[in-house]
Amino acid sequence: MSWKEFRKELNGNRVEGELIKTIFYSVLTSFIILGLLYYLKFRFVDNFMSSYGYFMFFAVLSYALLISTFRQVRAYREFACMSGMMIGMTTGMIGGFLPGFFIASTNGMFVGSIFGMFIGITLGIFNGRCCGIMGVMEGIMAGFMGGLMGAMTAFMLFNDNLIASMVIIFLISATILFLLNYMVYREMKVEERKLKEDHLWTLVISFVLIVLTAWLMIYGPKSGVFG
Amino acid sequence: MKNTTVLLLIGILIFVVGGFVFIKAKSVNIEGNEGQIITGEMQQVVLSQDGYNYKDTIAEAGRPLSISADSSVGGCLRSVVFNVKGKKYSKYLKSPQDTLQLPALSKGTYTFSCSMGMGYGKLVVN
Repeated sequence: MSWKEFRKELNGNRVEGELIKTIFYSVLTSFIILGLLYYLKFRFVDNFMSSYGYFMFFAVLSYALLISTFRQVRAYREFACMSGMMIGMTTGMIGGFLPGFFIASTNGMFVGSIFGMFIGITLGIFNGRCCGIMGVMEGIMAGFMGGLMGAMTAFMLFNDNLIASMVIIFLISATILFLLNYMVYREMKVEERKLKEDHLWTLVISFVLIVLTAWLMIYGPKSGVFG
Repeated sequence: MKNTTVLLLIGILIFVVGGFVFIKAKSVNIEGNEGQIITGEMQQVVLSQDGYNYKDTIAEAGRPLSISADSSVGGCLRSVVFNVKGKKYSKYLKSPQDTLQLPALSKGTYTFSCSMGMGYGKLVVN
């Protein structure tokens, strides 16, 4: 029953009705920035598409999905402890794993781990704080572990179908994030929305994340394997 | 704008940009270079293990290399990855008879590692 309601709400007036638009704005912002950077700078980088293109493309999609959960959680502000912990854990884990995976694929395990942990912990804290210290702790722990795990997985797969693995991992992560959207809706469907905002934060976060990721991939420090 | 329209736009955007990326990129998966023609007199380089890393190895400049790993090399160190001027050369050297071929290198020190980046080594080309 809730599932049908949720699907209906994706076109409704609640925050769930804005999720698809949020993803669209985030994807559009990131693609425009990357398009400009590609035209101005990146097309002169040797083997850009085969070395970095895939990872940047999937980073754009991953950030768009993460930002949509960020917006949904912000709209309700306060959650019960159990839900907040789940939100912190999911965001921290996926927010750490995917960036860690992408950066480790181009720069090596150390930089990938650090970046993955940084993004995972940051997103985990911001989303997990909706239920107080328990959610924040859960976000930190999940971001910490996800960042390390993502980077390590990429590095171990380096010589064995890295791109195919990335597509599979991305699809699983996207499913988890979509289910998180559904869980938040189920938990809060009787509650009123606390914060109504425009899409400025979506654009700002997308811009910061994709510029940081692209800069690190191309100009960031690289481990020995990458020469 | 209706959400179904937005969803359609997202799909088109992903399809167009994804198609551009996937068509432009040949392949990021590193491969052995069996299909590559390497001319010139081949020199044999045998890798050995020293603790958790490879022993430093010496080679001559201007001659292509045929790299193998002796029986002291174990675990992930048998899967060796070279990055020469942005191009990756990698092969799992399952037995001491398996070889990875590299083109002739100019003078310098080239670092290489196992595929997991756990073990490192240096190839000094004189």
